[in-house]
Amino acid sequence: MLDPTVLIFLSSGLFLGWSLGANDAANVFGTAVGSRMVRFTTAAIICGIFVVLGAYVSGTGAAQTLGKLGAVNAIGGSFMAALAAGLTVYWMTKLGLPVSTSQAIIGSIIGWNLFSDSYTDISSLLKILSTWIICPLLSAVIAALLFSVAKIFVRKMGIGLIRFDGYTRLALILAGAFGAYSLGANNIANVMGVFVPVAPFPDMQFGQGFSISSAQQLFLVGGLAIAVGVFTYSKRVMMTVGSELMTLTPLAAWVAVMSHSIVLFLFASERLEQLLANMSLPTIPLVPVSSSQAVVGAVIGIGMLQGGREIQWPRVHSIVKGWVITPIISCLLCFVGLYFLQNVFQQTVQRASNYELSASVIEKFQKEGIETDGLQELDGKVFQSSAEVVRRVKDMVSLSSKQGLKVVEYSLQKSLFVTAEKIADLDKNGLSSAQLEALSKLEGQTYNFAWQLGDALAAISPEWIVLGGGLKNKLHDRGIKQKLAYLYRNFQRRER
Amino acid sequence: MNPLSLFFKKQYAIEEKIQRLLRYLEDMAQLYQAAYESYLDGSFEDLNQGNVELGKIEKELDDLGRQIQMSLLHESLMPDSRDDLLWFLTKMDKVPSSFKHSLSDIVLEKPEIPEDFQLPLKNMLVHTHDAVKALANATDALFSDLRAVRQHVEEVGRQESMVDKIEYKLLQSVFEDEKFELARKYQLKGILKQLGAVTNLAEDVADAVLILATKHSS
Repeated sequence: MLDPTVLIFLSSGLFLGWSLGANDAANVFGTAVGSRMVRFTTAAIICGIFVVLGAYVSGTGAAQTLGKLGAVNAIGGSFMAALAAGLTVYWMTKLGLPVSTSQAIIGSIIGWNLFSDSYTDISSLLKILSTWIICPLLSAVIAALLFSVAKIFVRKMGIGLIRFDGYTRLALILAGAFGAYSLGANNIANVMGVFVPVAPFPDMQFGQGFSISSAQQLFLVGGLAIAVGVFTYSKRVMMTVGSELMTLTPLAAWVAVMSHSIVLFLFASERLEQLLANMSLPTIPLVPVSSSQAVVGAVIGIGMLQGGREIQWPRVHSIVKGWVITPIISCLLCFVGLYFLQNVFQQTVQRASNYELSASVIEKFQKEGIETDGLQELDGKVFQSSAEVVRRVKDMVSLSSKQGLKVVEYSLQKSLFVTAEKIADLDKNGLSSAQLEALSKLEGQTYNFAWQLGDALAAISPEWIVLGGGLKNKLHDRGIKQKLAYLYRNFQRRER
Repeated sequence: MNPLSLFFKKQYAIEEKIQRLLRYLEDMAQLYQAAYESYLDGSFEDLNQGNVELGKIEKELDDLGRQIQMSLLHESLMPDSRDDLLWFLTKMDKVPSSFKHSLSDIVLEKPEIPEDFQLPLKNMLVHTHDAVKALANATDALFSDLRAVRQHVEEVGRQESMVDKIEYKLLQSVFEDEKFELARKYQLKGILKQLGAVTNLAEDVADAVLILATKHSS
């Protein structure tokens, strides 16, 4: 039975989802609805359906990057992170400043990390920060290319005026549906990403072969919240955006929506990542990016193609200002909010975790290529926070940002007990017979660190081996890690 | 059945109405030429009958024009295209009116046309008819193939220039010839100007077609 307080804590995520739906649906259908090319009801229905689909089907990729930045480990903390982000979005919108949900939630996570003295993976943070520049730039480039090609195509085809009107309308609806799908897939991580590590729903099994994971349930709920936002409040925003973009021709409007959608899709698609990895090409990071920045980038791209005279540079300026202000405000709000939630409302905003540098952990560090000379001094030491353990290790040896993340992962104490009962209860979908056989051989074993179970499984069956090194193995490894994370959750002993 | 017609029913319906409008316009041009020529050949009755028929077609054309305007306003075409089409239809509406005015004036005034004016006038009528036909083709291309618009518009321009040349020559002879009284000179000038006005209007509308085609293909 689901604890009702969980719903209260989830409400902030739903609020964030609602405000995202109310604001960002305008980036997808604003031009079409604002200029009355598409009826609001049609747009809202299409947008609602495709946002939920995108969130449910393809929402996982971007959420994982957020998880790396900071895994908020108590639902009270997730509540405050989402609330701080939601309030920042709301206030910034009220002040008329361009706002990005992505940036607000990143600020909140950093706020939680600072409050809980958790380690912030700088490489993941930089990866996310870089997309704040790459996203509008990429959108501008795609828009410029697409607009040039579309113009040539239209000229060559010579489609009649009325028929062109009809085709454009249909193209806008299709682009809107694609945009809504991409918005759901990419931005659901902003709405529900912070709740994933503390996912309150149990996995659901429907007969043989169909199950919904707790994360998917969260994404579905978040997607529905976005859809409610679209239905209840986006009309006004759509009308405003539509009128603002009236200087765009219908073709340019279509190009803007398509470019925005392509960019959001690129930053959310695991399949594309797989394709690029298989071709040994550099992959695009799966990161939640700002829908507003993507659409503004696209409009700038089209404007630059036409000489750049019509671009409203003061607006570009205010967007850049928003990029800096939003995460800072959200970070501060989250930090202060967590303080009040913990000390005034007596809520748990972080779960106590211990990080132990035992001999086996140090040995694991060595295997993973982390320098260990001098670490023996810390043998047996237990630390209360992830940031502290990284600091202490850094005092002894040099450590890259990624190695810092490994130190946190390997030193985290997690008591696991593999029982026959729990093995029987597992959702076996996705687990091969070799993997299951290896698991059953470990029946009755206990572990103090999660990685020990992973290593034990890998020693029995090659199908549990994380290959590492190189793009081609990236997705294979991710699959193994997801399965291992599922096992860790299931075999973890309940704290008394 | 064209499968696209399921998706674009409204657009196809408007296109069909515009096609009908263009056929009416071509019918008017033919009727105008035939009635005018009958008068030049001495048959006032045929002129009168042609004028009546022209009136009927003009009325049907007016009704159809209104229907198209209503469709454009109610069928929620994109505002940009809708405004452009309404502007274009308002311009186009003046062409059938010019036929009607020109023929009505002949019926009313029954001007005596000099013998040596007959052939050039008939030539003017042929060029006028060709100009309107080219205008109908240009308009048709605006709704079917924008790439073909320019050549039809240029054809309208060519026909208009032919009409202008003949009109100028006839006006010169009207005012240089001492046998005409001043009143007759002005009457003939009015008739020639009315006839020339049809192609001038056709050229104006053709220019509008070209503007729309250029705007929507760039």
